[in-house]
Amino acid sequence: MVSPNPQSESSGHRFQRRGFSFERAIRFFFASNAGLTIFILLLIIVFLLREGLGFFPGYRRELEVYRIAGLEFVDISRKNLSAHEQVTSLLNRAYQAEINGKCCNELRRSQEASALYSTFSDQVGPTRDLILNNPAATTGGDAGMLAVLRTNYEAQRAKALTNLPPAPHLSVAERQELIDSLRNRPAEATEEPPIVAKLNAEFAAARQSHAEPLQKFRETIDNFESAGMDLGSIVMEMTESVTATKEALQTADILEKDRKTLLAAAANAKDPIEREKLIADAKAALAEKPDVEGPMATLMEKKPDCVKVHEQLVTSVGEIFPNLPGSLTQANASRYLKAATAAWPVLISDLKATPAKISSWTHTEPVPLSAAFISFLTGRSWVTGGEWQDFYGIIPLAVGSLMIAIVALTIAIPVGIGAAIYVNQFAAPREQALVKPVIEFIQAIPSVVLGFLGIMVFGTILREISTFDSLSWVPGFPIDERLNIFTAGCLLALMSVPTIFSLAEDALNNVPSAYAEASEALGASRLQTAFRVMVPAAFSGILAAVLLGLGRVIGETMVVLLVAGNRIKIPDFSEGIGAFFQPSHTLTGIIAQELGEVPLGSVHYRALFVIGITLFVVVLGINATAHHFLTRKKK
Amino acid sequence: MSTAIQIQNLSFAYGSKPALHDVSLDMPARKVTAFIGPSGCGKSTLIRCINRINDRISTAHVTAGTIKVHGIDIYREDINIQELRRRVGMVFQKYNPFAKSIYENVAYGLRIGGMTNRSDLDDAVEKALRNAALWDEVGDRLHTSAFGLSGGQQQRLCIARAIATEPEILLMDEPCAALDPLATLRIEELISELKKKFTIVIVTHNMAQAARCSDQTAFMYLGKLVEVGPTMKIFENPSDPQTEAYITGSFG
Amino acid sequence: MFNPENLIRKGLPKGYFKDMFVRGLLGGITYLMVLIAVLLFGKIIIDGAPAIFTSKFPFVDIEFLTAKNETLHVFDDAKGARHQLPASKYNEYITAHAGQQIYNEQTFSYSGGGIAGPIVGTALLTCGSIILALFFGVCAAIYLAEYAKQSPFIHAVRLAILNLAGIPSIVFGLFGFSVFVLAAPVITATPVDRSLLVIPFFIEGWALSFQGWNSSLMAGCATLACMILPVVITASEESLRAVPQGFRDASLAMGGTRWQTIRKCVLPYSLPGILTSSLLAITRVAGETAPIMFTAAVAAKDDFPWEGLANPFDILSSQVQALPYHIYTLAARIPSSEYTQRAQFGSVLVFLILVAVLSFGSMLLRAKMRKKLKW
Repeated sequence: MVSPNPQSESSGHRFQRRGFSFERAIRFFFASNAGLTIFILLLIIVFLLREGLGFFPGYRRELEVYRIAGLEFVDISRKNLSAHEQVTSLLNRAYQAEINGKCCNELRRSQEASALYSTFSDQVGPTRDLILNNPAATTGGDAGMLAVLRTNYEAQRAKALTNLPPAPHLSVAERQELIDSLRNRPAEATEEPPIVAKLNAEFAAARQSHAEPLQKFRETIDNFESAGMDLGSIVMEMTESVTATKEALQTADILEKDRKTLLAAAANAKDPIEREKLIADAKAALAEKPDVEGPMATLMEKKPDCVKVHEQLVTSVGEIFPNLPGSLTQANASRYLKAATAAWPVLISDLKATPAKISSWTHTEPVPLSAAFISFLTGRSWVTGGEWQDFYGIIPLAVGSLMIAIVALTIAIPVGIGAAIYVNQFAAPREQALVKPVIEFIQAIPSVVLGFLGIMVFGTILREISTFDSLSWVPGFPIDERLNIFTAGCLLALMSVPTIFSLAEDALNNVPSAYAEASEALGASRLQTAFRVMVPAAFSGILAAVLLGLGRVIGETMVVLLVAGNRIKIPDFSEGIGAFFQPSHTLTGIIAQELGEVPLGSVHYRALFVIGITLFVVVLGINATAHHFLTRKKK
Repeated sequence: MSTAIQIQNLSFAYGSKPALHDVSLDMPARKVTAFIGPSGCGKSTLIRCINRINDRISTAHVTAGTIKVHGIDIYREDINIQELRRRVGMVFQKYNPFAKSIYENVAYGLRIGGMTNRSDLDDAVEKALRNAALWDEVGDRLHTSAFGLSGGQQQRLCIARAIATEPEILLMDEPCAALDPLATLRIEELISELKKKFTIVIVTHNMAQAARCSDQTAFMYLGKLVEVGPTMKIFENPSDPQTEAYITGSFG
Repeated sequence: MFNPENLIRKGLPKGYFKDMFVRGLLGGITYLMVLIAVLLFGKIIIDGAPAIFTSKFPFVDIEFLTAKNETLHVFDDAKGARHQLPASKYNEYITAHAGQQIYNEQTFSYSGGGIAGPIVGTALLTCGSIILALFFGVCAAIYLAEYAKQSPFIHAVRLAILNLAGIPSIVFGLFGFSVFVLAAPVITATPVDRSLLVIPFFIEGWALSFQGWNSSLMAGCATLACMILPVVITASEESLRAVPQGFRDASLAMGGTRWQTIRKCVLPYSLPGILTSSLLAITRVAGETAPIMFTAAVAAKDDFPWEGLANPFDILSSQVQALPYHIYTLAARIPSSEYTQRAQFGSVLVFLILVAVLSFGSMLLRAKMRKKLKW
């Protein structure tokens, strides 16, 4: 009998594994690849935090400089100045809107005629310029060349005259008159055709006549505007001095940082001569602390003047405002007037509260770290560029992202879910085979292509549609900017519909067919089965689909960067729903736009990382909730 | 009318694959007719033709013959399918209550039929649950989820749902296949109660069940109706040798 | 009392109009969406076709696809004829017609020449990132599908995959920028001051410095690979799981090791599925702009990435043009006019055709796979 264990005892039984084998190594290799995902995720979190958390101390110091240099003090008055300017602007807009509305017909006619003329000029302009500049025209030089140019001009003119835009407010005869005058005049002519001049004059006359009854309004506005002049000049005076103080403080900060870097390098230097040199450089960089108290004292002396100016303004505004007309005839003019009238009590109360703020303001109050957090999370302006003061407030960006998401989902949810219900419950297999690949193709379209379409095609179409008279009742029409929240929202809807569609359709598919069978066996029609049984059963899956669509919309960058208009300002809600037709910026777009331009390590740079962290957290939260609904469904 | 269902020379196919060949039989009203036979013999197909639930399968179609319910040809052009299915209820092999409350499950058939009055619905739901012998167990928790019930209770809930609209005919496709013996017993007791009001057609794999519950039994094999007759006769004295072979367990 | 006559339908069934209305509404919504998609892309096709299709053989404007990107010069000569020339030809013209006056000169950046640079750049980026993602992703999927049992580690890995899949692309851009561009390890003799960490070697002067790869092909590929890693892992795991357990059992029962089983009995059958899903990943990678904006892409580049290099490996550290970034530049940075239309719509059309080919290709492959794989 052969022993089952021929080897020596130390190597163990034949079936036993011997130590660290190749298999274990392979398994470890694969496991480490799996662990790579955890590593990458951690890396993302760590680096985002590393770059982003440094933002808050830096921003805190900037807010501190803002206070101790006195800019905060000046801004108390400046805020009132801007509010005053805004009300002035609203009143002016109301005035113009009223007049333009009343002579809207003359305005349109004049605009259309001018547009026709300028289109024509653009098309023939270059050739005409060549003719004018050609030496032959004046001194009789190369006549042959001139002849060629003239022939070109005639050809271009003929083509241009067939290529003119429509002019719905001009009569056929008037349009023809304009075209004839352009056709018949010599190439060198540069003055306006007579009919254009005539329509412009008509418009001007109409404006004049409608402006007369509003004379008192005009005077009131002018009075209001000039009432703010004293405030404006005192703000300007203070601005100059505090800006100088701030620059001094910032230079001192930079030198201090240099000094610290040099000292650190000196500590690391191995060569004693080099170390001496570095320490000497550090000493040289030690600047004097800038004088803050001196300028501040001068600034504080202005306090009584400020107070006085404000009190005067309160009185004058109080006297002027009752002179405003109660109402206006044009709809948008009324809206502006109403907004101005609503703003007036706010302005008065702010002005009245200001003297107390001015008197009590002191530059010695400390700025804690939490101030940086609060200013970031609740700040209503994001201003960078360093002219006055940089503010990093996330609200305008968050509002922009949210409004675009609202537009996108308002369109995408009904379309996506409706299409899913249709394709899953009602469509014939041939229809399914047509619709599903198309939707999958839409999903594969890169976002930059959609952004391109938006900026080149869709925005312009939308703005043109908004100029139709028949649609002028829509708030916000006609649209000023073709790149705005609504355009971006529509394109994002196009992007998110496939996501919502496929997930909702999956959810409907996963409802056991036994439900549909039972429902039909009870005598329900297809419609009743679909809406009373299938959709409620798939509800949590459909909800997950919507949430994932929301996550996609908020996380999208290229479309909003190209199409949303890139204005960092909370939209003006005085327009009501019309606010959706204003441009705005987004959390994602701001990073894409500004990261390439900021200096590494600056507060601005780090602020972008904090926005990145915010995005990360928000989108992750949405996706986690969606996932929760998806898995909860599986009973 | 004493004959509830008349199947007349019915031939049925899925696409090009035939499933039923020339089946003819009558099922009397307020009696239980049972179908027995080995797997794949076509008994489920036949029963699903009676309420035309096979229409859900696009390739399924009648190749010859027809079915008459209470004298009306149900395969005629102008048949009202939804009304047919309200008059002919169905209970499936695997109980399938909707993901709704007990009350809403039972009330579903009534709601889609247009009943909206809350008290009418309440009465009808209670009546159906009593008839299905479920009221005592769930009467106090009508608005909880149907999935909180045991298997046997869920099947009785499906029965309650099917009889809520008071159909004339109740089709049961292997109703006890997914249930344990105790629950099976309760369902069989229920059937003997229900047959006082409804015509019942039951498909079953369990010959003993057919023997216990039914008045008339039909044996099917490979899509053909081999023999039909009073239950006692089929089980004690079958005419056809194939029937005898099946009853005694030689095959299937 | 039951009246059998009620079984016969008189006139239209109850609720017929409501049924038709709802069906029509939903169907209308569905087809409206299809229609809008068709319209928008029809516009691109109509406006882009003149740029890349010609009427003569080979019907495609080869020059557009193979010429480098240049600035477009538009001017009139003394006869009033308008010329549109890319920069290189413009310079030739000027030297050929030295002394003649030209008028009304305008320049349009990025609008002349062709798009060979962006095409090449996108190809390089896609290849590099797919290779990386496939390597690491398939190995991770093998672990998840073949080796793993329920454990906290596996739970953490799955959670990480789920989270990574949901991160917005611009956050990946930030990640790639702060890690690969600014902090990735490099072996160099002259570490930069801002380096994160310097580990000196014992060889004279050389050190491992975590100073980043700068904006380069390497950094771009790494960032993109991280981005599609979750997609590749999920799809690969699915393909691996689709292989019947019986194959593995048979191999193991004959004494094969785990690795042998995977290598011979599982991987070959799951490779088609893995490759199909990598097509989808390629589509995604080719279309992304945000991650490469700060890690690899540059708007204007005179040479192809392999030209003008000191040594061949420098191609990894050079910046590249990329098709989606090119389209972004064309859309956002230059004014729109009749002269730029060719470049703008032509580029987008080429890009769309690429995406369409890849996407339909993957759909077809998937359908074919499903039919072929009948175990």
